[in-house]
Amino acid sequence: MKSFPQERIRNFCIVAHIDHGKSTLADRLMDETGAVTEREKQEQLLDSMDIERERGITIKAQTVRMVYRAQDGEEYLLNLIDTPGHVDFSYEVSRSLSACEGAVLVVDAAQGIEAQTLANTYLAIDADLEIIPAVNKIDLPSADPDRVAQEIEDIVGLDAADVIPVSAKSGVGMHELLEAIVEKVPPPTGEADVPTRALVFDAWFDTYVGAVMLVRVIEGRIKKRQRVKFMIKGSERETTNLSVYTPHQVEVKELGPGEVGAVVAGVKTLSDVLIGDTITTMDNPASEPLPGFQEVKPMVFAGLYPVDAEDYEDLKASLEKLKINDSSFDYEPETSMALGFGFRCGFLGFLHAEIIQERLEREFELNLITTAPTVRYRVVPKKGEAFEIESPAALPEATDIQAIEEPVVLATIHVPSEHLGQVLTLCQERRGVQKDMAVHGSRVQVRYLLPLNEIVTDFHDKLKSATRGYGSFDYELQGYQEASLVKLDIMVNGDPVDALSLIVHRDHAQSKGAELTRKLKEFIPRQQFAVAIQAAIGSKIIARTTVRALRKNVTAKCYGGDITRKRKLLEKQKAGKKRMKMVGSVEIPQEAFLAALKLGDS
Amino acid sequence: MPTVGLYVHIPFCERVCPYCDFAVVAVRKVEPELEARYVAALIREIESRAVEFEGAQLDTVYFGGGTPSLFRPEALAKILEAATRAFAASTPPREITLEVNPSTVERDRLPAFRSSGIDRISLGVQSFDDATLKRLGRAHKAHEARQTFTAARQAGFGNVSLDLILACPHQGFDAFARDLEEALALEPEHLSLYELTIEAGTPFEFAASRDQLAPPDDEVATRMLEHTAARSAGAGFERYEISNYARPGFASLHNQRYWAREAVLGVGTGAWSYEAPGARFRFGARRMNPRDLGAYFAAVGAGGDEGVESEVLTLEQARGEAIFLSLRRRTGVDARAFEAEFGGRPRKFYDEQIDRLMAAGLLAETESGDLRLSDRGLLLSDTVFADFV
Repeated sequence: MKSFPQERIRNFCIVAHIDHGKSTLADRLMDETGAVTEREKQEQLLDSMDIERERGITIKAQTVRMVYRAQDGEEYLLNLIDTPGHVDFSYEVSRSLSACEGAVLVVDAAQGIEAQTLANTYLAIDADLEIIPAVNKIDLPSADPDRVAQEIEDIVGLDAADVIPVSAKSGVGMHELLEAIVEKVPPPTGEADVPTRALVFDAWFDTYVGAVMLVRVIEGRIKKRQRVKFMIKGSERETTNLSVYTPHQVEVKELGPGEVGAVVAGVKTLSDVLIGDTITTMDNPASEPLPGFQEVKPMVFAGLYPVDAEDYEDLKASLEKLKINDSSFDYEPETSMALGFGFRCGFLGFLHAEIIQERLEREFELNLITTAPTVRYRVVPKKGEAFEIESPAALPEATDIQAIEEPVVLATIHVPSEHLGQVLTLCQERRGVQKDMAVHGSRVQVRYLLPLNEIVTDFHDKLKSATRGYGSFDYELQGYQEASLVKLDIMVNGDPVDALSLIVHRDHAQSKGAELTRKLKEFIPRQQFAVAIQAAIGSKIIARTTVRALRKNVTAKCYGGDITRKRKLLEKQKAGKKRMKMVGSVEIPQEAFLAALKLGDS
Repeated sequence: MPTVGLYVHIPFCERVCPYCDFAVVAVRKVEPELEARYVAALIREIESRAVEFEGAQLDTVYFGGGTPSLFRPEALAKILEAATRAFAASTPPREITLEVNPSTVERDRLPAFRSSGIDRISLGVQSFDDATLKRLGRAHKAHEARQTFTAARQAGFGNVSLDLILACPHQGFDAFARDLEEALALEPEHLSLYELTIEAGTPFEFAASRDQLAPPDDEVATRMLEHTAARSAGAGFERYEISNYARPGFASLHNQRYWAREAVLGVGTGAWSYEAPGARFRFGARRMNPRDLGAYFAAVGAGGDEGVESEVLTLEQARGEAIFLSLRRRTGVDARAFEAEFGGRPRKFYDEQIDRLMAAGLLAETESGDLRLSDRGLLLSDTVFADFV
């Protein structure tokens, strides 16, 4: 592998909203610099997981090393560092950004700036990155690059004249973009002959070697077969393998200042890797780790239960496997009276929760029941110390509680001005308190303080539908505040279904209880006896519905082809039964539990 | 000696009922050319497919539709002759049924139908209330049904069945009870009482999806079913299948073949055939002809299986069908016969299900392991069946 002097290295990332063309642009840059062959172009190389590709979300950051001969005749080493592109992963994003000196800000020429892009752009600015703005998809009929360039100037404060018009699809503007990267992104500045400090900004699990860490050497150098120390974790290891991605993995002997590469150092599991940790060498250790490390803590919690109790061990094994590749989620065994044995899982956010659940169902073929997501509440009891709970079941009796505090986030919402009204209504319904509002041309940025529990289920969907898909939002945790919260319980024929319990604001309890019982009625099929569905706060019933008994279930005609048809229907019915959970003597389908997640839809 | 039933589907109707999802073709009048062409196709199909049931005695024939009585008696006679020839029948079939619509034209043809060898009539009365008939989209009036019944008797039909539909749009319990009394007053040998089924893709389904059908609620429909069972028993009818009632000795031989899983050759558009478990198919097989008339003509003309859907049953499917089809009948599941076919009595395969259903009062079991639906089980039969597929 050819080595480059530090002044000819450029480390950069791409900041873009979902669908604004980040992956296509990355592919095109690799194409332009000859990093990939024709055949490989078939696929978008950076996003490797199915779900990522389907949702257009990058979950795990990756990196690619490219060599570009610039107009000045010199060859430059360009490291493209991929960043996770969604709202739940802002800490990971910030770590990836710390590995770069520059960022290409990609904005869709038709759609303009979105909240997430902006949030990540601010992170990039905070990290002192040189921002190279570009408008993509300029060949779309609806493209308005000039307007979008002006928007970039108005909102981000970058000169509209510097915005590079590109089309990642056709390749227009790639040359200009690469030149701008070479010209504007500063080379890394770290010195080679000082104690080594390398930032671990991502990691994944490899079956053969264990944890593979992506690092950016800030200063000093890392060599193969060298004793190193993880300064925050406090562990010592020996590097067994160093490599770079071109995007093919190529082994190297060392990584010098400014370089980006993958390190294998005998770390068995991902839970032993801290994103944001600093690697130094034992022979000449640094005295201080790099700044900016944070412990990643889950914010959203939900119970995951197998529909079929026999799948419990499979679920456990699958969670273990997932955890190996995603250290940002947590789980511990939990028992529900209604659902039996399962796990309480902690996620970075609701999207993260959805992704994990989807992966479990798809990759591991598990049939799961997810309980309504909840957040971490702080309970101040009348006697004793305050403590935190992550499940409604853990909430003590109301009479023992002095106060409950809930996490609050600062949400930044971007919306075309014509949809502002609906968004303000939505935020108010969700107990939001407006912080400020700013108008940029036809778009409005509004910031709200919102209880996290009001946004964990469907806020994003609601925002999208209220704004015909044009609204976007990002959030960051602000802290805790006291709120009038109660536990809403659901009973089916007198048996409490603990998995359906919710912690809600007292003012919303009545309507949520009524809505939940109504929804459950829709989903609980008629049984051989009447089924009463009740919502209660403590011992007080606040809502009730009844699923009437099934009186008859008869196929009138069953001749000839009716028989095949009937048998298939019965088989389907039986398969549906398998996906039901017995609570007392009542069969409750999976969908009924999902209904609890979708309150507020009707 | 193995036996086979022949089902002949004649798809033509003067109007299509809004609840019907059979293979039907609306025609103002069945022109002689169309009749001749269709009869020729049927005969050709019977001749070419009789080999599938080689050596079987032709046991029953059933002309269904559509409206088979729109065909002239000579046409049906020709089909019967061809069938007798194809199966080299040494004795005539034990039962030959014709579905008849209560209308003038068909009434006049009844003596000729009887002469052609047809010995059983299934009369599509549906209701004796003109308003209900109109809502069902039927062309006939109640008095025409009574006249047709009388004409059938005069023509010498000693085995007549009446079809009634219960839980029709706007039908109250009393209206249905009157329908049943009217039917019993005619003293037929057989009654089929079908609850109205909303089939996918029919005008009734469309209306139902917009809440415009106004059928009686489940409570009322349940009472209708219960009343039918009690009242018909009082009148000397045996409920030998979920929807079928007969005086002793008059249970439909042809229809029982379906629930007994006996071979049926179905010819004509959309007709289903069933080959019983045997040398050709270990666990039985079903096939369906093309539903479309043009496609059917083409398939028969080509002599191939173009457009034919078929299904070869697996052991599990056959076992499940054996249970639920037997349970539809009053005789229920004969544990010994079941054991002879599947290598074990029902308990061997469905022990836990049987316990559960008995505890719920849906199923009754004899000491030898025979199974039958209880009265409650008859009302919740599909709930029971779902445990056995």
